Amino acid sequence: MDVDPSKILVRYNVAKEKAQTPEEMAAEMYPSAEPAKTICAAIFDGEEDDVIEGLEKAIEGGADPIALIDDVLMVGMKIVTDLYDQGVIFLPNVMMSADAMLDGIEFCKEQGGAAPKPKGKVVCHVAEGDVHDIGKSIVAALLRAAGYEVVDLGRDVPVDEVIAAVKKESPMMLTGTALMTTTMYAFKEVNDRLLESGIKIPFQCGGGAVNQDFVTQYELGVYGEEAADAPKMADAIVGGKGLAQLKEQFHKH
Amino acid sequence: MVKRYTSLAYKNADDMIFGKSVYPVKAELGLEVGAGYVTGEVNYAPRPEAGVSKEKLVSEYRRLTTDIMARAVQVGFPAISLETEHVEQMTNNPDWGGEVAHVQKTIMEEYHEEYGIKTALRHTPGDIRENRDLLALIGAKYDTLMESFEAVADAGADFLSIETMGGKEILDYAILRNDVPGLIYAIGCLGSIDMTMIWEDIRKIADKKGRIAAGDTDCAQANTAMFIAGGLLDKNLAHTLAIIARAISAPRTLAGYEAGAQGPGKDCGYENTIVKAITGCPIAQEGKTSTCAHSDVMGNLVMQCCDLWSNESVEYHGEFGGTSVQCWSESLNYDAAMLNVATETGNAKMLRDILVLSDKYRDPQGYVLAYDNAYKVAESIAKDGDDLYLRAKNAAIACCDILNDADKKKLVMSKFETNALNDAKAALDAMTDEADTFMSESLEKYKAEVAVFRPDDNYKF
Repeated sequence: MDVDPSKILVRYNVAKEKAQTPEEMAAEMYPSAEPAKTICAAIFDGEEDDVIEGLEKAIEGGADPIALIDDVLMVGMKIVTDLYDQGVIFLPNVMMSADAMLDGIEFCKEQGGAAPKPKGKVVCHVAEGDVHDIGKSIVAALLRAAGYEVVDLGRDVPVDEVIAAVKKESPMMLTGTALMTTTMYAFKEVNDRLLESGIKIPFQCGGGAVNQDFVTQYELGVYGEEAADAPKMADAIVGGKGLAQLKEQFHKH
Repeated sequence: MVKRYTSLAYKNADDMIFGKSVYPVKAELGLEVGAGYVTGEVNYAPRPEAGVSKEKLVSEYRRLTTDIMARAVQVGFPAISLETEHVEQMTNNPDWGGEVAHVQKTIMEEYHEEYGIKTALRHTPGDIRENRDLLALIGAKYDTLMESFEAVADAGADFLSIETMGGKEILDYAILRNDVPGLIYAIGCLGSIDMTMIWEDIRKIADKKGRIAAGDTDCAQANTAMFIAGGLLDKNLAHTLAIIARAISAPRTLAGYEAGAQGPGKDCGYENTIVKAITGCPIAQEGKTSTCAHSDVMGNLVMQCCDLWSNESVEYHGEFGGTSVQCWSESLNYDAAMLNVATETGNAKMLRDILVLSDKYRDPQGYVLAYDNAYKVAESIAKDGDDLYLRAKNAAIACCDILNDADKKKLVMSKFETNALNDAKAALDAMTDEADTFMSESLEKYKAEVAVFRPDDNYKF
């Protein structure tokens, strides 16, 4: 027994696939000047060695290593994240590009003897009692790729440690991920302890069992349905949006 | 030394069917799994606030167990199975899990005695073998985990299961980098090594307590890949790569049976049809009735060869139709009734094929897991069953070949999926046939690249 599947399902991903390849679309977005073009292509391809080689040439040509971070590396990474947001490339491409870009940033910092000013600082953690951290790792990578400094507290982080880190680092945003219903309950405690300390920063929460209904139960909570929401939320905060506006934008249900 | 499978339990793919397995298992309160009928297996999670104390947790499970049993007799279902997946407190404190199992089994016994309803209780301790930053597969946490198994078995849990984490430290790195050799190392090699160790010990406990060492799942890895891959329009992982990870997970799950598991396999092991072809042991599956927990793209198809039919997990709370566990257990058992009517009327294979064809061409994942193709993957595994590396590699290659040989007018793949498949096949073609070479090279590579990889502390190579 077999069936013609065309009447019972639709492969929308095939129907909506763009005619251009990701490589062709990226090439149209690269800067025209060299070595920026070559470095951006190396970031897109996730080739760390080629990124470093391109940066060496740029610095030999008189470029300021620290300026290269914003002027070239972040430009290359933005091409990658834009194509990801458009659904043209997939997450592993972004991760590999981010690895290459971060290697490039470290190289520039070594060469320039200084560190660039990040767009903002974000503290990331996995809820106490929860060791499932691949979601947090993706969030941290996407935030770094977007130019944010990430303080990664890791997994199974006690509430006391989260509060202490927020007080020490003064981040613009805190993120929390959890897979299980019982561990995500720690988010409420984090929220209450932050408020007790007079700290009112957006607390982006997401992951397996976490849903919007739960996150809306505490004042600082903003639900992040996708890992890719993290840099968008950070950008919104940099753009001046407060808690109410963030909830309006990201609470889709 | 465990005996590896080098042949299949079924002579033909067409012999595989829901409700029947070659080696059924029987629980204390009359429920037989794989003995000719399908039964619903209800899964649930306590509300977040229930985890604050032992008393609250036990009370939560008392309530939800009573709800499930009451609904089952109200609607006239002949049998029901319950699965309790531990929250971490229940495994880290073995007496908590033991008390929950005792309370649940007592309620189930009361219903069994009063109504004759056949029932079984599965307990699934959490794999707590981790520290803050690192896997800790061997050592004190392992001992606590075994104490947890002892406690729930003592308290009446019929089926002992777990979702082990062996290999996950490499998988989390490899899956985000399209690293196919990394998938084989993580799932097929490290995962199977850990499975072999832990399932020998679970079987000893089961034998000592008169319980059944049921089965494992590669939830931590293949399901991570499936969930990252998501729906048709999600852009986080090529679905062709997700199904390659799934194919590699079958020999990993198989390792549990080789070390002593007898079934029913765990519900979220979407690889279970492949495994059933080899072992002949009964399996639980989840699909359209697990949408309360997650989405997939093969909700009907995975019912094809199930022996227990599960909802994966639902938080205990109120719904319009009763509590969530009552609503979902009712749905599960109506599905089971439909399957059992098909069996009783001689239409089981017809219904199986309808279920399969409703999803077979929806996605590359369902295509490979359709029982006819799953059987081919099983054959590739058994061909080199004695070699953990080669059989995992074989499964990946078989998966690629099945997709490449598909009728392109029916299984229509995107360019992205096709490119990812071609890249994966090229990576597989470049791999060695020598297990020792692969293992030593992988060990060096991932020790250098993955900071949290501690092979000497975690694996008995």
